[in-house]
Amino acid sequence: MSKSKDNSDGKAAVISAKAGVKESIIDFLKKAMDKGVFDAVLIPMRVPAGDSFAYVLIKDKTLLKDGVPLSPIMSVQGAKAVSSVTRLGKGKMKIAAVMRPCEIRATIELSKLGQTDLENTTLISMDCPGVLPMSDFLIDPEKNIKIFNEAVQKWDDAIMRPVCQICDKSSMIAGDIHIGTLGAKKDTFFIISNSQKGNDVMDKLDIVLKDSIDSWQAKVKNITEEKHKKREKNLKDLKSKIGGLDNLLDTFSQCINCHNCMKACPICYCRLCYFDSDKVKHPSEDYLQRAEIKGSIRFLPDTTLFQMGRMMHMSLSCVSCGACEDACPMSIPVAQIFSMIADEIQGLFDYVSGRDLDEPVPLVAYKEEELHEVEDAND
Amino acid sequence: MTKALKINKSAEQGVIEFLKALLENGKVKGVFALKKISNDGAVAYSLITKPNELDNAVPFYPLMPVNAGKLLSRFTLKGSSIGPVAAVVKPCELRAFIELVKREQGSLENLFFISSTCGGVYPLKMSVNGTVEKNLTKYWDAVKKGEISADLRSACKGCTEFMPYTADVTFDLIGNNDPDKQCVVFLNTKKGEEFAKGMKGEFLKKELDRKKLDKFKSKREVEKKKLFDEIDAKMNGMDGLIDIFGRCIGCHGCMRVCPICYCKLCEFESPDSEYKPSNYESDLKKRGGVRVPPGTIYYQLGRLTHIGISCVGCGACDDVCPVDIPVSIIFKKVGESVQKMFDYIPGRDVDEDIPLITFEKEEFAEIEE
Amino acid sequence: MRIFLLLRLKKKNLLKLKNRDGNIKKEEEYMPKILAFLCNWCSYAGADLAGTSRLKYPPSILPIRVMCSSRVDPLFVLRAYLGGADGVLVAGCHPGDCHYEKGNYYTRRRFAMFKKIIEDVGLESDRLRLSWISASEGHRYAKVATEFTEKIKKLGKSSAKSEIFL
Repeated sequence: MSKSKDNSDGKAAVISAKAGVKESIIDFLKKAMDKGVFDAVLIPMRVPAGDSFAYVLIKDKTLLKDGVPLSPIMSVQGAKAVSSVTRLGKGKMKIAAVMRPCEIRATIELSKLGQTDLENTTLISMDCPGVLPMSDFLIDPEKNIKIFNEAVQKWDDAIMRPVCQICDKSSMIAGDIHIGTLGAKKDTFFIISNSQKGNDVMDKLDIVLKDSIDSWQAKVKNITEEKHKKREKNLKDLKSKIGGLDNLLDTFSQCINCHNCMKACPICYCRLCYFDSDKVKHPSEDYLQRAEIKGSIRFLPDTTLFQMGRMMHMSLSCVSCGACEDACPMSIPVAQIFSMIADEIQGLFDYVSGRDLDEPVPLVAYKEEELHEVEDAND
Repeated sequence: MTKALKINKSAEQGVIEFLKALLENGKVKGVFALKKISNDGAVAYSLITKPNELDNAVPFYPLMPVNAGKLLSRFTLKGSSIGPVAAVVKPCELRAFIELVKREQGSLENLFFISSTCGGVYPLKMSVNGTVEKNLTKYWDAVKKGEISADLRSACKGCTEFMPYTADVTFDLIGNNDPDKQCVVFLNTKKGEEFAKGMKGEFLKKELDRKKLDKFKSKREVEKKKLFDEIDAKMNGMDGLIDIFGRCIGCHGCMRVCPICYCKLCEFESPDSEYKPSNYESDLKKRGGVRVPPGTIYYQLGRLTHIGISCVGCGACDDVCPVDIPVSIIFKKVGESVQKMFDYIPGRDVDEDIPLITFEKEEFAEIEE
Repeated sequence: MRIFLLLRLKKKNLLKLKNRDGNIKKEEEYMPKILAFLCNWCSYAGADLAGTSRLKYPPSILPIRVMCSSRVDPLFVLRAYLGGADGVLVAGCHPGDCHYEKGNYYTRRRFAMFKKIIEDVGLESDRLRLSWISASEGHRYAKVATEFTEKIKKLGKSSAKSEIFL
């Protein structure tokens, strides 16, 4: 995948979408399967009960028509799904994974972490308006699907998750192919190739990449700037709300240590998390000693240690997808908090998680001259 | 006749005084109870060593942030408690701990259990916006009248094991006519009597009012039947199961908060349960499409097979589920059904073997064909 | 001459369609796939005996040899059931005759529990069967295989075979 997050080479094609954007995308995938470009497609589908969506790896083309490229909720982070299919090797099938930009970025981070083999996988992203909060969606799934689809038409994010409302990377291209719906003329969308793999797919499907994406870029720039402003404001407010030891402890006081956030997070892939391991299991005398020093300790202690520890472990790769906040049973705004921290520490290294497969995670690389400001130099 | 102690204070105040006295007299090194831990009233279990820290303890608060059985197991996992500790726990939490002790995941030594006839807890969601605090009066009113609050955890509404089996001391909360002024504490064991010595109150010989508790039990039985029937109607065949568990996102939160699930590496997170590319390829040939990550029903039924025999019906699983699947009712129903087969009540007696590690030479002849 | 040859060819083709008993085969009958866990010392030997005695039973059984019926983890049976097996048979020594003394007693309890769970969640517990078959009971093995296959045929194909959202 090339570095640029906005493709200024104009390597795109305008695709007709008279039957509707969703239907045209499905059609594109079907044609690709017909021609043997892909053997299987990983795309969300509505579950039989109708009250949720799940990723399905589809080989039988007749199932494609029930695929939902932009589902109203993020039940399982797409990167987790891709990793589930390719963690133990690339397999024989050529797979197309249709996901949101943050899911693509998380997949790329997982690839850097050795948790997914992308050789036979083509990553297809699309402009993302956000997703509904899971708990809101579940109140009335049928109604909320309609409301979501209407919001997509208007690109209105008022009902989306708080962390989606402040996402300034909702049209970031990080995969092989990107479907650009913003700024496209009526009944069309852009299909943008971002890599050799993407170009090969277009070749095989006889799609000529000769169109300009100026209108898409302009619209994306517009939306991104607005979101960025909102992001700065919201995160500033958040910092004042949770900053400082007292506020931090209060924020996480309701945390029951269920570790749902860790499990839902695509970046947290450790089979045995440090915070579930023997390292945090102590004999009774240790706990009693701690209790004696303070007079009383929460039991089990170290909730803040878990939260901040997880922050330290994964924030460099955090894509602000918000899966953690959806999974939290105590409605702690973990996604917003982690997103805020992620911005700051990724900024330290001029790193954007998932931007480029060849860009190493900052902690496994170094420059001989850098970050002198944190050193205790005796000038 | 059991020895009992009548305290002229509300149960909450009475138990705090009891615990303070235990600490002050050096009878225990620490006390384990629910306590308000933040400025906005969040409640969590705490290990308390200084008597004045008990001032904002709320031992009988209608909330279960974590099943205390799991916490006691963690406390005694690396060896029994180094000194005597008194723990105020709910009946299901105590039973869960006993089940864990049977599995060598904890030790009873040096632990002293204070429990109560339990009126149930509220779902954790209600604590998020301070609703529990607002409902406290309503809650205690219902407990006093021996009624079931409408907004309790489903598992609590249908719970018929609200009487602790192995507590050293039991506060009788249900059907207490004057809950603000007095409460009766039953001293069930020698340890209980010993620890109550020197407490302020009237010592008497009294039996638990079985009639009152049976009446309450039958109300709970009615609720239980309602909940079980509701879930039964949905569990019809593979389609029914897929409908119920369709929303499951595989977060395994239910497994993590379950007191009985203690495995360091759960079978369903181990390499055994991981799909290799070849598994996907062969599954796709068979079915044409496969949900990713796979194995949702396998995980749910598999976990049911593993822990159903010891499920204490606490309902922690329900509260942690991000997609509101009624896990606790399913596990409670199937768990009880399996336990009945062996006349087993999990946590009733630490010397009672888990049914699957023992056998009778003649039994279940009807199973074999 | 040509017509004669053509007729001979036609007869040959017709012969191919007849099965061993000389009856014209109908369309492929549904043959269930039944996974059978057979303990090495008793039921596997019994199955072997059925074979060497040339006893007839339907080709529905897929045997898996285990050293003792108590090796059978309920999760094996669950995987088979959800994997689309039409039936699962667990067979071991008669109680009291287990090669390892007590194994089959545990099997009995585990199977009873697992069958109850399957029943309680609304699945077809009739697709599961536990049978005690000793090494000398070749006839019994053939009988169990035949009876169980009949029962499964009546139940039809397992719906788990085609499920996507398992």
